[in-house]
Amino acid sequence: MKILVITEQRQGKWNNTSFETLVAAQQIAADTGSAISALVIGKGVANFAEDVAGKNIAEVLLVEHDLLEAYTPDGYSLALAQVIASAKPDLVLFPHTYQVRDFAPKLAAMMGKGMIADCVGFHKEGDKSVFVRQMFQGKTAADVTFQGPAPWFASFQSGAFRADLLSAHPSGKAPVNKIVVELKPEQIRTKPLDLFKEAKSAVDLTQAPIIVSVGRGIKAPENIPQAEALAKAIGGEMAASRPICDEGWLPMERQIGSSGQTVAPKLYLALGISGAIQHVVGMKGARTIVAINKDQNAPIFEIADYGIVGDIFELMPALTAALEKAKT
Amino acid sequence: MTTVQREQLEADVLIVGAGPAGLACALHLANLIKKHNEAGGASGGTTLSAENIYVLEKGREVGAHQLSGAIMNPQGLAELVPDFKNSAPLDTPVTDDAALLFTKNSSLRFPLTPPPFKNKGNYVVSLNKIVKWMGGLVEAAGVNLFTQFGGASLIYEGEGIAGVITEDKGVDKNGKPKANYTPGYELRAKVTVLAEGTRGSLTKQLVEKKNLSNINPQTYGLGIKELWDVQPGRIQPGFVAHTLGWPISTDMYGGGWIYGLSNNRVSIGLVVALEYADPRFDAHAAFQQWKTHPLLKKILDGGKLVRYGAKSLPYGGWYAMPRNYLDGGLIIGDSGSFLDSQRLKGIHLAMKSGMLAAETIFDALKAGDTSANTLSAFPEKVEQSYIKKELWEVRNFHQSFQHGLIPGLFQTGLQFISGGRGLIDPMRTHAGYQAYKKLNNSPPGAPQSEPERFKGDGKLTFDRLTDVYHSGTRHEEDQPCHLIVRDLDVCATKCVVEYGNPCQYFCPAAVYEMAQDYNGRPKLKINAANCVHCKTCDIADPYQIIEWVVPEGGGGPNYEGM
Repeated sequence: MKILVITEQRQGKWNNTSFETLVAAQQIAADTGSAISALVIGKGVANFAEDVAGKNIAEVLLVEHDLLEAYTPDGYSLALAQVIASAKPDLVLFPHTYQVRDFAPKLAAMMGKGMIADCVGFHKEGDKSVFVRQMFQGKTAADVTFQGPAPWFASFQSGAFRADLLSAHPSGKAPVNKIVVELKPEQIRTKPLDLFKEAKSAVDLTQAPIIVSVGRGIKAPENIPQAEALAKAIGGEMAASRPICDEGWLPMERQIGSSGQTVAPKLYLALGISGAIQHVVGMKGARTIVAINKDQNAPIFEIADYGIVGDIFELMPALTAALEKAKT
Repeated sequence: MTTVQREQLEADVLIVGAGPAGLACALHLANLIKKHNEAGGASGGTTLSAENIYVLEKGREVGAHQLSGAIMNPQGLAELVPDFKNSAPLDTPVTDDAALLFTKNSSLRFPLTPPPFKNKGNYVVSLNKIVKWMGGLVEAAGVNLFTQFGGASLIYEGEGIAGVITEDKGVDKNGKPKANYTPGYELRAKVTVLAEGTRGSLTKQLVEKKNLSNINPQTYGLGIKELWDVQPGRIQPGFVAHTLGWPISTDMYGGGWIYGLSNNRVSIGLVVALEYADPRFDAHAAFQQWKTHPLLKKILDGGKLVRYGAKSLPYGGWYAMPRNYLDGGLIIGDSGSFLDSQRLKGIHLAMKSGMLAAETIFDALKAGDTSANTLSAFPEKVEQSYIKKELWEVRNFHQSFQHGLIPGLFQTGLQFISGGRGLIDPMRTHAGYQAYKKLNNSPPGAPQSEPERFKGDGKLTFDRLTDVYHSGTRHEEDQPCHLIVRDLDVCATKCVVEYGNPCQYFCPAAVYEMAQDYNGRPKLKINAANCVHCKTCDIADPYQIIEWVVPEGGGGPNYEGM
């Protein structure tokens, strides 16, 4: 049997799951007496091919093309289809990365093949290759096998095999064989832009020394800026009780309480928050709690260090103005 | 998502719901298979294995959604696990049972405890603990028990059913897949057993689609419960009391319970039939009021609320029992109306129904025929068992109370001496929501006088949100609302005038509230994350436009010790 392992690297860095998948391939090869080819794909990636040539495999296949410099699902699947046609592997193994999730189903469908994705193990049953997949959130495992002729596609879950078990090439280096693929710009239907890391949007309220929190008393989303102005004046982060985040007036990561974050700031300013136990469990550890509420019987006053029975729409601007004035 | 590719799995038997009925079915079937295989029965051809029995449970863990009083008649468990007395978490045997008539400030003990309230030989238990323990036995028997998975829809095939699709995981509030999106599994089985408990969401679909209803519609009660740790000496373990009267008016049907558990723990609760005239009746508030009775106050004073919960229960009995078999499917437990509405006991009947289902399935699997033809053995077995005997005697009991307590008691007396027949047999009934009387005040648009909501003193009595907190309820917040209201316009325009939005009052978990939209018009707000899965809204909505569907698995209450 011939096994082809698709490795993954990006911006000069290996994706470590590639090595785990090579380990899986080595174990399958040992069980089945197969030869392993490892594919390195991209542009200017010969050094990666050299790197992987030092592992215990039969050969490295190197595919380079200008149109493969940046990842595109069209480019990768078209190139890989040509590699598979020329190398004729029986089994094609992928690391189950986000990139593989993107293009591998397309490739398999293009070639009219099935794919067993996200496997955690492999064993042989007679002459059948059986792959193990987790189901029910890992509570049970299913044995899955292929029907029909090769090639077969499978991907392995990150962490399913140990990369440190990867064995080196017994006699130095495996040969690196280049494969030429043909790709035309018009075949690539997406245009990749610059890579970027998603900005960490979630604020860590647990680190905020001052929190200004709004509840139902804020009444409408139009009124939130008033509280934000106060938060800015006092140098605090905005937070809210569940109904506010549930309405989408503030993002969910700013929710305090049993179904949100638990905080213990130096100062917690509760504006129009009644103080249901669900909210209180998330902020009762605050060093100083100041509550403003119209209802003098609101339970928030039971835990507040300072309480004002009053209208937040009068008090928010007044407090903001006073704070601004104190600064000058 | 137009087409979803689902993972498929095949089982011999798929049981939806790990309660007393579902687990008894799984355990009894696993035991039958074990005996069969040990006797070399496999040589006959069909090999059977407990591994091919799957049980789905929507709760975080087995038992998490179990709520009952509970006094358990051990009859069912004794058959299922003969040495149960040594191994089951039974808590305490009933030592004394009292029937009390409450007025606001006094209570009167009936000199003789009426037969339905007699509980000699029964046990005060935590159903949560019993079911958790059963779950362990079921897993040890080799059955595949999957928690945090709910049955979202049925797979219909031919005249019957062929399995269940579990709920999609990782879907956001707008129905878009999130990073952790996992489509539900397509679980196919030769026999699918619906053991969803009261007002099962799949059972409801199936009964409607296949016209399985009996002559009476199912009717329900709502039970609201608190578990307290009280000062030593306030109540004897094993002392059980049932109360009638205050604060439940005589035109309603309901009563309270006080059960002494071990270690100074008390289970208290109030059950009311979900068939009352006042659309603004608030069962949670009635329960809180009931706790202020001097007798309750004395027990609870200085104690601490441990846990809260609420659940509906099917009252309909024999004449509301749906047809419980079809091609590839059976209905058991509360879903199948296996509850004695006079004694308000269903645990033993649920277990027995599960065991009879297991025997039916075992024969069907051996014969290689799981069609309605073979599965019709189930109702026959029920007919010949003590289930029929017990339910038959009280077949007209609950219906007798639809016109109030006094005529009810009169008719019950007649039924008692005539073996359940009474004046009219079968006595018919309506669905409970039809009992609401419309608010006949003020023209549309005029301000409605809304009753003030119960607040509680924070020591003896609590508001609903505080109680919900004590139910341990949690749901993933970013998921589609699992309470589907078909037409929000009805709530905002019609219901607000005709009934004053009873959902705000009947929901014991403060899920529904009428808010205002930008233009000041009434708008229904659904706090689905509070839902304790009692199903009251699905039952008691006057327009029947609320559909309770399973939320993402693992969501819901945590009835530890309930």
